[in-house]
Amino acid sequence: MSDRSQLISTGKPFQFDKERDAEFERLIKRYPTRESMILPALWLIQEQEGWISQEAMAYAADRIGTFASKVYEAATFYTMYNLHPMGKNHICVCRTLSCWLRGKQEIVDYLKNEIGIQPGQISDDGKFSLEEVECLGHCGSAPVVQVNGEFHENMDVDKLKSLLATLK
Amino acid sequence: MADKIKLFVNGVEVEVEAGKNLIDAVGAVGIEIPHLCYHPALGADGNCRMCLVGIEDGRPPLVPACKTPAQEGMKVLLDAEHIKKIQHDVMEFELINHPTDCPVCDQAGECKLQDYYMSYDHAKSRMNVPQVVKGKKMDFGAGVVHDQERCVVCGRCVRFCRQITKTGELGIINRTDDARVNIFPGRPLANRYAINVVDLCPVGAMTSKDFRFKQRVWFLKKAPGICHGCSKGCNITIDHNREKYKDDIIYRFRPRLNEQVNGYFMCDEGRLSYKKENEGRLTEARLGTKVRPIDDVLAACSKEMEQAAKIAILLSPNCSLEQMVTVQALAEKIGAALSGYSEGYIKTGDGDDYLIQDDKSANRAGLNLLGIDSSKEGFEKAVQEASLLLNFNNDLTLSYQENELTKLLKDTKIVAVAAAANQCTAMADMAIPVASFSEYAGTLINCDNILQHFAKAITKNEDLADICTIAARLGSPLQNDNERYSVLQKCISALKEFGVDQIPAEGLNLKKSEAANVTA
Repeated sequence: MSDRSQLISTGKPFQFDKERDAEFERLIKRYPTRESMILPALWLIQEQEGWISQEAMAYAADRIGTFASKVYEAATFYTMYNLHPMGKNHICVCRTLSCWLRGKQEIVDYLKNEIGIQPGQISDDGKFSLEEVECLGHCGSAPVVQVNGEFHENMDVDKLKSLLATLK
Repeated sequence: MADKIKLFVNGVEVEVEAGKNLIDAVGAVGIEIPHLCYHPALGADGNCRMCLVGIEDGRPPLVPACKTPAQEGMKVLLDAEHIKKIQHDVMEFELINHPTDCPVCDQAGECKLQDYYMSYDHAKSRMNVPQVVKGKKMDFGAGVVHDQERCVVCGRCVRFCRQITKTGELGIINRTDDARVNIFPGRPLANRYAINVVDLCPVGAMTSKDFRFKQRVWFLKKAPGICHGCSKGCNITIDHNREKYKDDIIYRFRPRLNEQVNGYFMCDEGRLSYKKENEGRLTEARLGTKVRPIDDVLAACSKEMEQAAKIAILLSPNCSLEQMVTVQALAEKIGAALSGYSEGYIKTGDGDDYLIQDDKSANRAGLNLLGIDSSKEGFEKAVQEASLLLNFNNDLTLSYQENELTKLLKDTKIVAVAAAANQCTAMADMAIPVASFSEYAGTLINCDNILQHFAKAITKNEDLADICTIAARLGSPLQNDNERYSVLQKCISALKEFGVDQIPAEGLNLKKSEAANVTA
């Protein structure tokens, strides 16, 4: 674990776009309390911006009507929330047991060479960011790579090559 | 009286109050179960695991005492080897990332971690990897300074802000050994009870900006008192110390438990009002422009009183009941008009629905109970008719603008009997310094009609007389405490069954006992 408490401020006010605003209002009816919206709201922000800024967190808290500290807690607890800008293509490689045994390391090594970054880094041109993540829940088709939220199963270096080509 | 139940602690039978959890129940009879996160005002959280105890009835081997209600016949195990090991292990976990900077830590001496280390751990550190580095001396606002490294993440402060003040400024950020208490950037502590988190913090993570580095707590003498900051009358502990060659100084007020009045907490404003006891005091008696011994000024004052055709006497709503009856008796004897006018002590809209009251005076209920007029018209009429005004510690500058006051009192000679030096004492013809509330004993009635007695807490190097003594020397027939108390007993029927020193520590609810008298 690492310290995720340093939030990044954009200096600009945040607001949901029209689509996410509607989604927020749709979801909020589902839950018994408004506070239940903390996690979905953070997802919506991440979907919209790719990451969650200090302003966005404050916006979520005020929109939900909860304490900003509670949103801050949730966002720093779950590592799936990106608290700093990511590459245009955010690549997550699963590193939990099944994927590890089925060769995630080859995939990570290939990506490291090809893009020239370590897991946790963003490429200089801002096109790629790479991360090793815990179980993505697709153990049956390990190893799994997730690009911008989309799953690619049974991955190997060849498949990765053609995948990367579509991203560049 | 709550129901009693019997249970066994380490095989010894004890009788405890029913309906409480194990920590509170056996704690009340003097058996301590160590705990960090549990606080009676904040409820059980069960995160620190320090209070794990064994119950010999086939339950899981260990249960948290904070979440276990005391029950009849329960067999509680505290001193078994496996429980001692748990306590030792929890302490070791807590201390892994603790900086152990006790020599420079303000909490040293009143630190749960320190105490429990001595009682339950007492082992050398086995840590050979670097500790997690976190934030130091973070300014959380409202006079609270936080040290994340000292924190044991018990969450008391977080729960206080969410449950009690409902402002929720604090949160526990990150997880695992990186977890730490923090504010959301740009949203600091902004409630009027914030410094309570310093008291709540079992370790030195939360410190008061006002108190830190001023005194080591083991030098402080603790005296019970009652806050005079508003009409709530929160019970406080007055922490004071007389350093070598110096005077007795108050270093802090801390809330003292009284379920009937303030619970475990007090407001920040009241807490910091100790400064008024130390600073800005009227210390010298003054006759005209000259500083004179207090006896001379009193003699001069008595002479003025003899010569004056009509005298007006003004009382402060902060005076104790004893002071009020003494001055009232003086007024009756000399035929003076007595007023308790103090509109300026009420800050309308300042109070809240918790502890803070609009009325910033400690004993207005007493003033009303004794039938002392506190109308503006009454006071102004009395002053206009009188040639001499005896002002007993009433800060008129709160009720009047300066020019209004000069206009009102331009033909009146003023004797100011006051604890604090202010505009009122400056414009007086004679000034007589008196003790402030930490320096005398007295009785107050708070906004909820609860009568409370407080004892003298501080003895200054040059101890000042209190208003009772001054009024007695100016001719009040009530010359000693017993006489004053018997007058009080006449006025307040509920006091009849109590002697001077027998008023219950938690206070006397006059509403309840008046009602009881009626039904009886």
